[in-house]
Amino acid sequence: MVTDLRKCVGCHACTVACNGEWDVPPGEARTRVRMTPLAGSFPELSSSTYVAQCNQCDHPPCIEPCPSGATYQDATGVIRVDQDVCIGCGFCIEACPYEARHISARTKKVDKCDFCAPRIARGAEPACVSTCPANAKHFGDLEDRTGDVHRMVFHDGARRIESASVAPGPNVFYLGDDAHLDLVQASFPPRPPRLITAGETLKRLFKPLVIGVVGLTFLGQAVAFFTQLHKGEGDFDE
Amino acid sequence: MKSKITRRRFLGATATASAALAATPALAGPKSHPPAWRGTERVDEIATTCEMCFWRCGVVASVVNGKVVRVKGNPEHPQNQGRLCARGNAGTRLLYDPDRLKTPLLRTGERGAGEFKPVSWDEALDYLADKLLKLRKEHGAESVAFFPHGNGARFFATLMKAYGTPNSAEPSFAQCRGPREVGYSLTFGQGLGSPEPVDLEESKLIVLIGSHLGENVFTSQINAFSTALSRGAKLITVDPRFSTAAAKSDWWLPIRPGTDIALLLAWMNVLVGENLCDTEYLASYATGFDKLAAHVKQFTPEWAAPITDLPIDKIRETARAMGQAKPAVAVHPGRHVTWYGDDTQRARAMAILTALLGSWGRKGGIFLPTPVERGSFELPDFPDSARGRADGAGTRFPLAIEELGVTNGLIDATISGDPYPIKGWIIYGQNVLESIPQPARTIEAMKKLDLVVVVDVLPVDQIQYADLVLPEATYLERYDPPTIVESAKRPFVAVRSPACEPLYDSKPGWWIAKELAKKLDLGDFFPWKTPEEHLATLLAPLELDGKTLLNCGAVSFPGQPYLEDKLPEERTFDTASGKIELYSQDLADIGADPLPRYTPPAEPYKGFVRLIYGRAPMHSFARSQNNAALHALMPENEVWFHPSVAMTFGIANGDRVALENGDGIRSDPVRVRVTEGIRSDCAYMVHGFGQKSKSLRRAGGRGASDNGLMSQVSVDPLTGGTGMRVNFVRPVKA
Repeated sequence: MVTDLRKCVGCHACTVACNGEWDVPPGEARTRVRMTPLAGSFPELSSSTYVAQCNQCDHPPCIEPCPSGATYQDATGVIRVDQDVCIGCGFCIEACPYEARHISARTKKVDKCDFCAPRIARGAEPACVSTCPANAKHFGDLEDRTGDVHRMVFHDGARRIESASVAPGPNVFYLGDDAHLDLVQASFPPRPPRLITAGETLKRLFKPLVIGVVGLTFLGQAVAFFTQLHKGEGDFDE
Repeated sequence: MKSKITRRRFLGATATASAALAATPALAGPKSHPPAWRGTERVDEIATTCEMCFWRCGVVASVVNGKVVRVKGNPEHPQNQGRLCARGNAGTRLLYDPDRLKTPLLRTGERGAGEFKPVSWDEALDYLADKLLKLRKEHGAESVAFFPHGNGARFFATLMKAYGTPNSAEPSFAQCRGPREVGYSLTFGQGLGSPEPVDLEESKLIVLIGSHLGENVFTSQINAFSTALSRGAKLITVDPRFSTAAAKSDWWLPIRPGTDIALLLAWMNVLVGENLCDTEYLASYATGFDKLAAHVKQFTPEWAAPITDLPIDKIRETARAMGQAKPAVAVHPGRHVTWYGDDTQRARAMAILTALLGSWGRKGGIFLPTPVERGSFELPDFPDSARGRADGAGTRFPLAIEELGVTNGLIDATISGDPYPIKGWIIYGQNVLESIPQPARTIEAMKKLDLVVVVDVLPVDQIQYADLVLPEATYLERYDPPTIVESAKRPFVAVRSPACEPLYDSKPGWWIAKELAKKLDLGDFFPWKTPEEHLATLLAPLELDGKTLLNCGAVSFPGQPYLEDKLPEERTFDTASGKIELYSQDLADIGADPLPRYTPPAEPYKGFVRLIYGRAPMHSFARSQNNAALHALMPENEVWFHPSVAMTFGIANGDRVALENGDGIRSDPVRVRVTEGIRSDCAYMVHGFGQKSKSLRRAGGRGASDNGLMSQVSVDPLTGGTGMRVNFVRPVKA
């Protein structure tokens, strides 16, 4: 994917389209629009928008820390989270250099951008690309020499946001002039993976387990209760 | 002083429909939207028109079991071509907002106390019909004023005219683009209409004057803007604040607020003095060049620099850039232009600059609307009003466009009883407390009335002053009159049709107006039985059946956007001279400046800064703050101060302060953003926050209202437009 920051006006259409497409609750986001702090002083100023999302890295730092094996790289290179396997421990969140993962309040599991894999599979573009009013987002096969994405990366100088120490091979590239991209890089540098202590590890691994056991005990009753509660209710906002 | 200028010439582009479309409508391959399937679940795809703002993009609503699960851009729609902004994407959150008005409400307590009882539609409309008949009998039909906004308001507009009142006014004129329409009409013989036909896409140089594209988002306009920038178009942004557009600019001119006319005159001085005007174009199409040239001779960049607080060389450099890029220079006419009370003259200056660059009717400048014919109904004659309008349009404000009206003129008349008493207000789709300045006066006026009716979707603050509240269905649940957009390179017709049944006991506007008409014995003015029949009649001359339109959402036609598309003898202008009027005899005749002149705005009081305001891309006016998806992105506004101002007042980034204006009025608490991105003589806020209604469970009590601080206005004597950037504020302890 290439995001053209010269075109992006930071309107948040991508975020809301994504939330609508994947039923991501308001306040959470798989893709987020951010604005760099202002550089310089009045009136010689500079700033840029930045659209953050999962970069579907070539060397994804999020896979190895996953204790349940839920996070994996699929055949197309997209990093996926198997929702049936994820235990919501959040180790992958700590490992992600781009802060692109979060725990969904709805599912209690990890949620993130997967380049709209189900849409791609049926030949559609990712929802953020389709909706972008500025036509700032481009999706395609980097290897396809006739495609826009190939041209933008290999001829127009679209750049990865990575540093000497954190270079996982992100597959979201950014177009813009050097000064603006430098500002984006400096404002939102990729974060080195955080170290997690053994104690913290145990706590996180057992928490979902305990919740799971306790939850199962009450599952039958809970289902009956909520079925009764929601019977006939048409309100499905939040 | 009654204007001699014919009203015809002041109609915006959208009202020039009388001329028939020359070409036979060639449909742009409309495709219907067939249902999709999700496994065994049928998903109906309903093409309709967005109303999260007023730009009217095409959307497709995906409906499963009668519920709208998603709203996306309609790829078949010529305007947005499948793209959609954050607000459009958040449409279902309005539809399913649990805070919506659910039943008609009749006031039980004192006006303003917000105490109501739910009533049936029959009771509500009987009550309203009785009140309206009584008011007409006792005070005349003109005693009822109508405050409309949006496509759906047209049914009520017909009803109000049939009832007999000429008093209708929407803030889109006197609080928004009115002076722009008039200033351009005086110059080119026609206004711009909406969407404004700026050919950003083809432009080599875009000039934004106080226009904050990017924060002000209209999907198609943003698309054209971004396309131009990526093709290498240059950008000049004149704004006291470092806006999103300023950050993309080749030249950011952080002008002293209120001095834009001085800059425009200096630009003209350079263009004329250095022979950078499009002389051939001017010779063919314009009059008054010599008078203009003589006038601007005195207004050098050296003269303008200390006034505007801009460097001399930047003024000259930007003027030369325009001269080099002409005629593909898009001087964006702006939209909300009611700033300082001399706004018609500033619009004139921008129109003249456009003319000097040869950009009107040229590729990359301002393109021309193409008229689209529309059908009409055979209606009884509307009653004449013996007493004329109460808002001053055409009299006190000689150049105000009567079709749009002057809201503040109606408020003045309600308070003063001059020229005659106003006793009732019907408010449809507009928020009079948020969109019209001096809200204390608006409340004073409402308290004097015998009847206040609000037709709305959400329980916004104004409903507490209503006697009767009528819950309208949202745009996703109702039919509205077709959108006919002439100010597009390919003009188009689009439809708003319901994607689902109205929720709760809400009703579409057309139904409310038609039922009320029956009770007022005005049913003959609604000679159609169903919305489909209404649509078919309006579309009849286009040889386009409603079903095609309902299937694809929009149909476009070939346009003639440029002067060169027209035969030489057709390249005329609807002015008195038939030419572009650089010098305006019309203005001279009513005692106004025939050539724009700079007048200094009122200076901020000592210890205060000027309050300026604008938009955020995730919100529309004061309409979207309660939307769950948009609220999550921006729950409240901030007030921007330059670090030097923050230091003076001893405040820091993130502090919560109240703002106090020069009249001692205080805002609700608002968070401070200390930023280099604003001049030190002003403060900035995003409009639409600080609503008080507790019934708006998300928006209520969040942020501060800029409109609440607008106790001063500078009224444009030509149009009645309320200049609002004449209020000064300082931070005080919240």
